[in-house]
Order: sequence, then C-alpha cells, then structure tokens
Amino acid sequence: MTRGTFIYIVQRLLLISFTAVAISSIVFVGEHGLLPGDAFISERPHNPNELATLLHHYNLDLPLPQQYQIWVTGVLHGSLGESLVNRGVQITPLLIRELGTSAKLGAAALVFTIGLGLTLGLLAALKQNTWVDYLASSSAVVGYSMPNFVIATVLVLVTGKLLYIWTNGVFYYEIGWGKPSQILVPAIALGFPYASIVARLTRASMLEVIRQDYVRTAWAKGLAPRVVIIRHALRNALIPVITILGPLSTGILTGVVVIENIFGIPGLGKEFIDSILNRDYNIVIGVFTFYAALVGLVNLGVDLLYPVLDPRIRY
Amino acid sequence: MASLPGVALPEEYVSDVYEMPEQITLWQDAWRRVRRNKLALAGAAIICVLVLTALVSVFWTPYPIWKQATAPTYEGISAAHWLGVDASGRDILSRIMGGALISLQVGVGTMLIVALIGIAMGLLAGFYRGGVDAVISTLINIWYGIPDLLVVILLVLLFGRSLGNIAFAIAVTRWMDMARLVRGQTFALREREFVEAARSTGTRNLTIIMRHIFPNALGPILVQATYAVPQAILFEAFLSYLGLGVPPPTPSWGAMAADGFHALELAPHIVLAPAIALSLTLMAFNFVGDGLRDALDPRMRR
Repeated sequence: MTRGTFIYIVQRLLLISFTAVAISSIVFVGEHGLLPGDAFISERPHNPNELATLLHHYNLDLPLPQQYQIWVTGVLHGSLGESLVNRGVQITPLLIRELGTSAKLGAAALVFTIGLGLTLGLLAALKQNTWVDYLASSSAVVGYSMPNFVIATVLVLVTGKLLYIWTNGVFYYEIGWGKPSQILVPAIALGFPYASIVARLTRASMLEVIRQDYVRTAWAKGLAPRVVIIRHALRNALIPVITILGPLSTGILTGVVVIENIFGIPGLGKEFIDSILNRDYNIVIGVFTFYAALVGLVNLGVDLLYPVLDPRIRY
Repeated sequence: MASLPGVALPEEYVSDVYEMPEQITLWQDAWRRVRRNKLALAGAAIICVLVLTALVSVFWTPYPIWKQATAPTYEGISAAHWLGVDASGRDILSRIMGGALISLQVGVGTMLIVALIGIAMGLLAGFYRGGVDAVISTLINIWYGIPDLLVVILLVLLFGRSLGNIAFAIAVTRWMDMARLVRGQTFALREREFVEAARSTGTRNLTIIMRHIFPNALGPILVQATYAVPQAILFEAFLSYLGLGVPPPTPSWGAMAADGFHALELAPHIVLAPAIALSLTLMAFNFVGDGLRDALDPRMRR
C-alpha cells in the first residue's frame, strides 16, 4: 500500500464517520425535538407513574444535550442502546445479527446479478442483431424499467402459485427465511434490475472491444474462439463494467430494504422500515447510523477494488 | 460547397449556380432522428396517454377514487369495473387514473427542482471555476456518499408525507447528476470562440451564462431531465410501497401494489394493475430519454 492510498483511505474513513455522525445527530434531534409526542405515545393513556419510570429508564427525562451525550458515549462503547418497544433488547447484537442475514441475501443477489448480466451481455454482443441479441436487449430493458417490487411480485406469483400447480406441489417457493432455497427467489428479485444494467454495459463494451485490432490479431493467429473471447476480449470489455460495481452495491443495499419487507426476511432492511413504523426511536437511530456507515464502507471497499481490477486506476 | 478549383469535379466547376445545402438547426435534426426511433415514439405516445389520463382524473373517474364497496371486495375484471376492485371494494381503474396524476406530479415536480438546483450549481461551478467549483464539487462528492434512501425517509418523516415534501426530498438526493453534467458542459463551452467573442464585447457574466452557455447545454440537460422523471416516479412508488409515501387513501401506484400483494393468490389483478401501469410509465420515459439522447448527441450513443 502506497502512502497515497493510505491517505485516501483515511480521508474516506473520516468522511464516512462524518456522515454517520451527521445523520445520527439529525435523526436524534429530529426524533426527540421535532416529532410530536414522546416515544411512548399511544392510544391507551399510560399510568403517569409507569410513564415516568419508563422515561427515566430510557433517560428521556433528561435535557436533549445530555441525552445525546449519553447516547454518543454508548456508541463509542459499542452500544446503540435498548429497544423502546421490546424492553431489554440490546440493539447492537440485534443489528449485527440482521446484518448477517442481509449480507447473505446481498451476496447471493450480487452473484446472480453479475453472472446473469455478464452472460446476457456476452451472448448479445457475440450474436449481435440476431434473436439472441434482441431477446437479451429487450429483457434488459424490461429489467431496467420494472421496479424490484414488481419483479418480486411476479416471481412470488410464478414460483409460489403457478409452479405449485404445474408441478403438483413438488416444487414451490414459500415466503419466509431459513431454508437455503428461500434465498434464491428474493436474490433474483433483488438482482434482476441490476443484472439488466450489467448486461447492457457488457454488450456495449464487448461490441467495442471485439472490433479492435488486437482481437483481430488474436483471431488471425488462429487462437481458439474460447481463448479469444474470454482472455482477449472479455477481460478488456470488463473494465467499463467494473465502474458500475459502486452504484450496483449501493443499489443492492437500497433494494434490500424493499425485498426484505416483501419476502419477510428478518434483515437490516426489514428492521429499517419496521422500526420506523413501530416508532422504536432507539432502533431507528441505530439503523440509520449503521446503514450510513455500511453504505460508506461498502463504497470504500468497491473503490479500493478498482485499482486491483484495473491497474491503471490509482489513488 | 465550393472547393478549390484544382480539385473540383468538372460539373461543379462549370456551373455557376451553387445549390445551398439545406439548412437545419440542431432541434430540427433531433426531431428527424427521434421520428425514426420507433421505441421513443411509442414511449412518447404512452406518456401522452398518461398525461391525458391524469388530466381527466381531475374532473372525472368512473367511480370516486375514495369510494369503497362499489362492488364485492376482490371482484375481478367485469364490465362495470374494467380492472376489478380492490380489498375495500374500490374501483381499481379509477385509482389507477388518480395514481397517474400522483406519479406525474412527483415525477415532474422532482425533475423541476432537480433541474433548478442542478443547473444553477453546475453553471456556477463550471463558469467561475476555482474556489466556487471546489466548494460545489466537494459538496457533490460528499452528497454522493450519503445513502439517498436515508435522506429521503428522514426528510419525509421530519417534514410530513405530503406530495410536495416527497418530491423535494427525492430531488435533494438527485440533483448531483444534473449538476455534474452541467458543470462539465459549462467547462467545455466557456472556452469556445463565441463565448470569447461575447466577452470581448464586454458582455456581463450573467448574460454570457444565460444567453450563450445555457442554451448550448440545453440538449444534454433535457436528456438528463427526462431520465430524472422515471427515477422520481420509481422512488415515490418505492416509498409508498413501504408505507412511507403519501398517506392513504391517496391512490399511489406503489401503495396500491403493496395493498394488492397481501391478496396476491386470491386476486392478482389488484397488484398487477398498478405494477403494469408503473412499468409501462417507467419504460416510456426511459425510451424517450434514450431517443432524445441518441437524437441530440449521436456521439453519446452507447
């Protein structure tokens, strides 16, 4: 690692922590200062004594700056506090467990996206202006224009209902989480829109590369088609495709929120929305902070990957 | 075109009357290209239908949008209800029509705000360069690092779930692309001869920006703005789907799809209607965007 890279990483880490701090502060002040009602607002009136105990338990009876100070101290000790809705549930272990679930889903989606996208794009480029190309290109347009929840709905309809009928109940997908097969359908729903983008990019850059002189030389040398396509053409065609890894991973991190809610997967994305709808403010702050840091770190990871994949890029 | 006598073709050389090549402007040229692009035309047609539907829905829908129990719940497609009814017995066609208005409002509203912020930032950064550019560019880079979902949800939670707030919140996360594009265009344009000529005659900076630079960057801006519309529509549908968009009973397509998802096996038409409407709309805007991009700047064709 050169000195430049080191400085770059440090800068980025500073920026990420700045973002996380800014977001958490805004959420904190917003929740405690701006939103109407306290954290325990409900349709049934609370017993005043009970409410006071609750408020005291969560330090909500203290002035705002002091609350914030306590919260920050907690964060620096690795604790994001305790859930307001489910008393006694510590947020940090909860979020880490959920992160594991989301990471599994995201990784599966990433593998699917890149696999399908590259295959479609490669086929479309090699068979340019044939039905393969048109099929690949039009499916790419469909994937590009369909929101992931629409794709998810169609997939659930097909795999949950139609597949059940067609195979007389041998194969079908059941909404839920736990069985290994239950990762496949959500991962496809999550990855499909991005797979179409990867396919479009791969097709375009592949078309450009296979017209280059060095590829013609490779053909002229009499190399096997597999070698020319994979080693000479695809390798270079991948360089523009790599640039989409950043938006791709951010997109998957965003898509996870929708997909997990649709498929009932107990991950970070579901917690994100559930905590907001449940008004569990402590978890909301935790999830926001966690998510901001996560997106930043993933993006940093991708940016550090670029020079590895394309040595011309340096920081 | 007259060429050097030595290399001119004989016919050209002997004739005194030179025919003027047909003069067409960039926009006429673009229009010709768009007209040849079938997908873009189809997209434009769908957008026209969408706009008409949205306008009609203001004055008339088959049933009132909010009216429940117009038919037995979950009833499918029938003569009285072309797209069936939903779980509360509301007519889906009426709600799709209302939803078109919501989507268009969010899409166009966001696009306008994005254009306003993005163009202003881009022009300033590109024209003045130096410190102004450094500040704006840093701002853009920092902004890119903030997850847009967080910002939108945060703004919507804090300031309320009205349509205007949602459009604003989405625009706040989307202006950077426009700003970067305009900045790049301005960088290139400000070095051109006509800008130099304008400057040499003592034209004020503001006039140079508004009359010489901005109109020449309009093509790419238009393309970018077209793409901003479906992005905003998608984001709004996404928010509504999660239950964080405009509050019910406003007929947002995303919320309708979410409602229908719970009855997917029983009555798939409830979720399919908004899903198809949404996909068609997004596809139409993307096609028009692609068509405009190819037409206005053939070099940008990918």
